[in-house]
Amino acid sequence: MEGRLPIGVGSEALNDLSRSAESRAPARQDVALGRRAMNVAVLKTKVEQALTENFAAVEDQFPGGAEARKVRDAAIGRFGALGLPNRRVEAWKYTDLRNALKEVLPLSTGDKAPVTGSDVSAALGPLAGIDAQQVVFVNGAYCEDLSTIGSGSAVDVRSLAEALSLPEATALLSAEGRDDDPVLALNAAYATDGAVVHIADEAKLDKPLLLLFVRAGTEPCFTVARNVVSIGKGADVTLIEAFVTLPGASQGGQENAATKISVGDGASVAHVKCTIDALNGTHLANWLVDLGAHATYNGFQFTSGCKLLRNQIGVAFKGENAQIDISGTFLVRGSQHVDTTLVVDHAVPHGTSRELFKGVLEDQGRGVFQGKVIVQPGAQKTDGMQMVRVLMLSPDAEFDSKPELEIYADDVVCGHGSTSAELDEDLLFYCRSRGIPKAQARALLIESFIGEAIEKVERDDVREALAELARQWLAECGSTKRT
Amino acid sequence: MPAVEETIEQVKKIDVDQYKYGFETKIETVKAPKGLNEDIVRFISEKKGEPAWMLEWRLESFRRWLGMIEPTWANIKYPKIDFNELYYYAAPKSTEGPKSLEDVAPELLATYEKLGISLKEQGVLAGVQGARVAVDAVFDSVSVVTTFKDELAKVGVIFCSMSEAIREHPELVKKYLGSVVPQGDNFYAGLNAAVFSDGSFVYVPEGVRCPMELSTYFRINEEKTGQFERTLIIADKGSYVSYLEGCTAPMRDENQLHAAVVELIALDDAEIKYSTVQNWYPGDKDGKGGIFNFVTKRGDCRGKNSKISWTQVETGSAITWKYPSCILRGENSRGEFYSIAVSNGYQQIDSGTKMIHLGKNSSSRIISKGIAAGFSQNTYRGLVSAHRKATGVRNFTNCDSLLIGDKCGAHTVPYIEAKNATAHFEHEATTSKISDGQLFYCRQRGLSEEAAVALIVNGFVRDVLQKLPMEFMAETQKLIGISLEGSVG
Repeated sequence: MEGRLPIGVGSEALNDLSRSAESRAPARQDVALGRRAMNVAVLKTKVEQALTENFAAVEDQFPGGAEARKVRDAAIGRFGALGLPNRRVEAWKYTDLRNALKEVLPLSTGDKAPVTGSDVSAALGPLAGIDAQQVVFVNGAYCEDLSTIGSGSAVDVRSLAEALSLPEATALLSAEGRDDDPVLALNAAYATDGAVVHIADEAKLDKPLLLLFVRAGTEPCFTVARNVVSIGKGADVTLIEAFVTLPGASQGGQENAATKISVGDGASVAHVKCTIDALNGTHLANWLVDLGAHATYNGFQFTSGCKLLRNQIGVAFKGENAQIDISGTFLVRGSQHVDTTLVVDHAVPHGTSRELFKGVLEDQGRGVFQGKVIVQPGAQKTDGMQMVRVLMLSPDAEFDSKPELEIYADDVVCGHGSTSAELDEDLLFYCRSRGIPKAQARALLIESFIGEAIEKVERDDVREALAELARQWLAECGSTKRT
Repeated sequence: MPAVEETIEQVKKIDVDQYKYGFETKIETVKAPKGLNEDIVRFISEKKGEPAWMLEWRLESFRRWLGMIEPTWANIKYPKIDFNELYYYAAPKSTEGPKSLEDVAPELLATYEKLGISLKEQGVLAGVQGARVAVDAVFDSVSVVTTFKDELAKVGVIFCSMSEAIREHPELVKKYLGSVVPQGDNFYAGLNAAVFSDGSFVYVPEGVRCPMELSTYFRINEEKTGQFERTLIIADKGSYVSYLEGCTAPMRDENQLHAAVVELIALDDAEIKYSTVQNWYPGDKDGKGGIFNFVTKRGDCRGKNSKISWTQVETGSAITWKYPSCILRGENSRGEFYSIAVSNGYQQIDSGTKMIHLGKNSSSRIISKGIAAGFSQNTYRGLVSAHRKATGVRNFTNCDSLLIGDKCGAHTVPYIEAKNATAHFEHEATTSKISDGQLFYCRQRGLSEEAAVALIVNGFVRDVLQKLPMEFMAETQKLIGISLEGSVG
């Protein structure tokens, strides 16, 4: 019943923090009857060691002053104590990072690769059609030439590197009660750049704000982005994050991204994330959302990229009468592993939450969904509904689902559902009996299946672009697949 | 609706302290020395006159258990159990002779009479005419009597205590014991394998439909003792058996440990229906005392078209840690789990099931109804998994929770793992409180608030109640009324 969001390792691991990061000898306890304590050697993997050691080597190059350095040191200390999560850690049961991460790529310090506007448009594909104010990061560093935003009265955007040199900058790196998450700890320690966005009270933005993270160059690297967004009272904003790879660039790479977003009272936010980059890469990301009273937050995540991907979403209701609608679609093929882990924390009364995720699994693709809805004591009149539906198109696909409810208040209505199945033969037959070829019928059915989630995106241009991305994905699958 | 009237009646009759089975039987007992070590394991084995292979099996389990650690993942909090502060064996002195009804001590007979369990063969279960049930009565560490044995033997059904089975049917016990829940399965199952005292053994031969319900009634009486019973049920090809289990304990300030293991084996075309009404002492209204119930129950659908159905009503125990599971190994095998878990006061329940689909076209259904009241925590935890090669598998899961009062918690933690595309898994869960509309409707028609709640709750659990054998249904409806008494207002 602690206030912190329990994505992560949990309190047992936190107790371990008292032990220093260096000496990880298991604390042996005297057990009754002289029983042997389980002698689990807590050895660090090469990757864990490298992540700690590399940090020391490049620490001087990180932006920010002495204060920021302290926060970074603390964060890498936490990571050292926690280690990479493995499947014995409940929140990472289905995504064993310790096992999956075999190497650490060199940290990108943002050496400017020559990237042009047309390169970026090509990488964006259908998303290029969205008329948006862009903030562009190439290999993890802010790229002023490609960004189309200046600071105005309504919107103030800075790069994190710049913002960290200002006073009170350490808050930008803090984890706020999420100290038990090793991925977030790594993010705070290594954050090189990102967008620090401030939207003024009552500001209504016509154009979406697009935070674009571009991968360029033929050498795969490790990039760490951290965005901090604060949205003023009564503001109305659409925020898009896109992770793309330039044509011809390396398909590898490791990415750790975090977006902290606090939504002011009565504000209305649409937040879209589109991960369509590096098919061989690793992408570990966090959304941390705080909601003010009467705020409306619509989140959407479109995922078709990366070999190993985990999106963690943590939403905390801080004010009454707020509502969220978070949905998404994950399209998985080859040997991709896509994990969506969601924690919605209703800490105050009268909150409404809706979640809808739709997944399509091809080949040996593996999908993971973990969704936890917590209703804290006193959070009466909470209304929560969560649904995840998955289509499994290949006999070798795997889907693991863990929808959770944790409820400490009685006057609530909460529910969740989880289904997984093949494409309905009857529906297919219906289409074919009307003269639609099998391949087309399949595509049609899958498209409409995903469509239910994509429909949730309110802006026409964004929704259309996402639908087009889904169609492209289906066409690519179809071209290599049976008909 | 007689059931509802009964519920109201029951609620009226009972005072603040609702547990009516909390009396203690004064009877002289033989106990093992306090504590746990290899000598205690030898002591238990010797007391029961077991052959050497059984002692070896126990010792092997004990050694494995020493290397195991207590699980901490469940959503329950309790003081650390000192396993050296318990008695692992306690038996009424009088029952060490041959077991026929005449030899049973009158105190024991009176105890079971008081509990509403008839040990007389012509007897019937309270309130239900014409139903005959064979009972194995387990008192602390020993089985005191098993009824209808001769009649069952006529059709070839073996129904006896575990100790007797080890002596009389070693070939069956050797073959099946530990084959579903191995010695090193988990901490509590390991402990049980080392020190289990008694329990029931059932073997239904090929093609036999067991002519009556079989039942075991467990009673903890002695202070500071743990009860560790072990039940083994084997349904051979094409057979059918329905088995009921009930349990109660006296009211005490201390917590007592109960760690049982139940193994079910269903061969080709066999069906086992296992029903439990668990009503151990739940502790007083301040959460003092009560049974710690750490139970491992697992069924193995080994044969084609076999079926195992678990039905449980959990109303007792301070702590419940229990996951009756099905391993669906056979093709077309079927597993079912119907559960009503009612928690009140400071009870904590972490219960659910595992449906492990290994055979093609196996199917399972889970219906779980949790009701939390008072300061209790009620968690459903379940796993549904389909193996890579298990094609055509289906599961439907429905977990509903009802909250009564704003100090309690209801949680749902399902794990759903589909490792192949042909698996059709559906899971749904809801949590809500009794709607004001429903309450108003009932009150408007003249029902008191308590009666209205009992009515609505009985409706809420109806799906599961209907799966209970008739003998249990009436009792359960009463129990639910009792457990919720004091939660309104």
